[in-house]
Amino acid sequence: MEDISLQSRIDVLSEEQVMIQDSAVAFIAQDEELKKVRESRFTQPGYDAQTWAEMAEAGWLGFLVPEEYDGIGLSFSDLSLVLIQLGKGLVPAPFSATAVLAARTIVKSDNESFKKARLPALISGEWKPAIAWQEARATLDVKAEKVTCADGKLNGQKLFVPDAGGADAFIVSAASSEGTVLYMIEKDASGLSIEYAQRVDGGFYATLTFDNVVAGEEVASAAVAEQALASALDEARVAASAELLGVMTRALEITVDYLTQRVQFDKPIGSFQSLQHKAVDLFVLSEISRSVLLQTTALFDGDASDKERAIAASQLKSRCGDAALQITKDAIQLHGGIGYTDECNIGLYLKKAMYLSSLWGNPTAHRGRYASLVL
Amino acid sequence: MTDYNAMADGDFRKMLCDWLVESYPDELRFPAERMHWDQCGDWYLTLAKKGWLAPGWPAEHGGMGLDANKLLILMEEFEGYGVGRTPDQGMTMIGPLLIQYGTEEQRQHYLPKILNGENIWCQGYSEPGAGSDLASLRTAAVRDGDEYVVNGHKIWTTLAMDANMIFTLVRTNKEGKKQQGITFLLIPLDTPGITVRGIDNLGMHDEFAEVFFDDVRVPVANVVGKENDGWTIAKALLGHERIFIGSPKMASLAMNRLKALAESAGMFEDPLFVERYTVLKLEIEDLSAAYMRFVEVLKRGGKIGAEVSMLKIWNTETQQRITDLMLDVAGENCGVSDAIPAGDTAVSAPGEFIGARPTTIYGGSNEIQRNILAKAVLKLPS
Repeated sequence: MEDISLQSRIDVLSEEQVMIQDSAVAFIAQDEELKKVRESRFTQPGYDAQTWAEMAEAGWLGFLVPEEYDGIGLSFSDLSLVLIQLGKGLVPAPFSATAVLAARTIVKSDNESFKKARLPALISGEWKPAIAWQEARATLDVKAEKVTCADGKLNGQKLFVPDAGGADAFIVSAASSEGTVLYMIEKDASGLSIEYAQRVDGGFYATLTFDNVVAGEEVASAAVAEQALASALDEARVAASAELLGVMTRALEITVDYLTQRVQFDKPIGSFQSLQHKAVDLFVLSEISRSVLLQTTALFDGDASDKERAIAASQLKSRCGDAALQITKDAIQLHGGIGYTDECNIGLYLKKAMYLSSLWGNPTAHRGRYASLVL
Repeated sequence: MTDYNAMADGDFRKMLCDWLVESYPDELRFPAERMHWDQCGDWYLTLAKKGWLAPGWPAEHGGMGLDANKLLILMEEFEGYGVGRTPDQGMTMIGPLLIQYGTEEQRQHYLPKILNGENIWCQGYSEPGAGSDLASLRTAAVRDGDEYVVNGHKIWTTLAMDANMIFTLVRTNKEGKKQQGITFLLIPLDTPGITVRGIDNLGMHDEFAEVFFDDVRVPVANVVGKENDGWTIAKALLGHERIFIGSPKMASLAMNRLKALAESAGMFEDPLFVERYTVLKLEIEDLSAAYMRFVEVLKRGGKIGAEVSMLKIWNTETQQRITDLMLDVAGENCGVSDAIPAGDTAVSAPGEFIGARPTTIYGGSNEIQRNILAKAVLKLPS
């Protein structure tokens, strides 16, 4: 599939970035027909273990982890090159949830021995933690209220934990007498029940219910937990946005290819002006999204404040979430009847966009936060 | 001669800014409409005297010789201070074209007259029957000895009534491909047989004109390039400075006026309004990210191609949506011509709304821009 983005026309990559991108392009080329993607749909854990092992092998899981914990310590600009390709390939692995949200929450926490013990295991792919923080629909607030920790026991409920089926343990935010604290809870802890909901893209969300679950190791104390979580979540939003950019650009590439091949009225339908203009509008939307991603990763690679990062993450997530939905919806329309069938791959892009655009705050929620921080 | 390109960006900015504060007339800041010569002629001559009239021209031809980066800074500072456009077709269009395609005689004759204000130029491309399909133009130039005899009708000629020179595309050959029978011709507007008539736009301002040619005799020496080669020359110039049409500055200014209007009407208490406002604000912020991405290309010394059309589409359509919301906020004042007080300023919502109409039409309509992107970037079939 030909890359129709403006990257090769107007952007400049370093030699190292070209290598990173090339390896990610080769990685997704292994499943160009999306056969593996289809095989893992609607089957726990929603992705295949081999894929995760290969990502660990490539070193990607340690991109955002400092070298002292066996990571590589690369930049968001570098990581986004991988994430865009993972989005293009619809790779069903909890990369942003584990290698970004979980890894970065741990990095920003204040339990040094936990970091030393666990981060190397996360990076090597042996140990997969999932962060359980959310207590309501469409919230961006990380303050724990409904899950409490008193007398060393957790009670309450966490919602929308992505890809919990393949996780080994949960890192759970809970309201203690000192404020929000992060605890590690093993998956088989007594009193923890896990209920799965199948997602449209083929993965699963989990609802975790805690009934007097004994609190495990404290990952982050009340002094840092909320800030660590909030900051890591903003990084995860950037990561999800990069995946969304991959989803939308590949959906557009597939659609432009279809417009060129499909013949009606004795002409390729891509010669009709109404379809050309629609395709152009989608292209513009994708390149606006890419521009915001480039600006945002550069900001995250610098020394911006938490507030500046929050503003930028919300700007980016609202743009990429909306753009990916718009592009994949119109991609279905431009495919006509075949686009509404499950056997046509374009629908897989729509469903991935539906999942990722709502994950960690949908566009409306992010515009709301943007407005409250900027206006 | 100052080497502006060697200056630190911050120093260059400060130099421009200080001088604008000192030299630009307060009453002309952020003009609501395109200024006529009787309003801005003095400013034109002030710029000329300072040597800053033609920032993009090479220094050897009397310009400032700015590189792409410094040129962008200058545009930003001028826009930010609210400096209105002069009748600037000489500097932006015909000057660069003569530098690239003119003869030595033409350069020596015309360039100094642009720089000293003696010649004010306007552009004669469009015709009543040749708009988006410009190559179908019919104004004819028929050779008669050392002269052409020109007959025809140009339209949408911005500020023709203030100009004394017009550069035109005229038909010199009716055979073959229509693009190949067009010649680039320079015509003094005081030549007998020329009539200029102003056209009021929807803002009730005579910004445009039409120009009629009735047996107008023009020396053959006034051709730029070769006979029948005009299309290539004009097209090369259309790419020039096209990035500026994507600058988010205009939309930002419109957004500021919307904000003033909305604050005075207490609209920020209304969550529905806040959502609509935030959507538009993000459209501009995101455009700004895209604009800077293109600016980086210029700063690296790279070339920008057809893809820059995306900025024009996004920018102008966002401006129109901003003024849509202004109308909504204005309520019944939508029907009032004069500006209404808004905080410590005054805003005319209908003026802004009407003023935003031509942005999606000029410089190649947005539909034409989409055709270009479909062909040149997405490679969709014909």
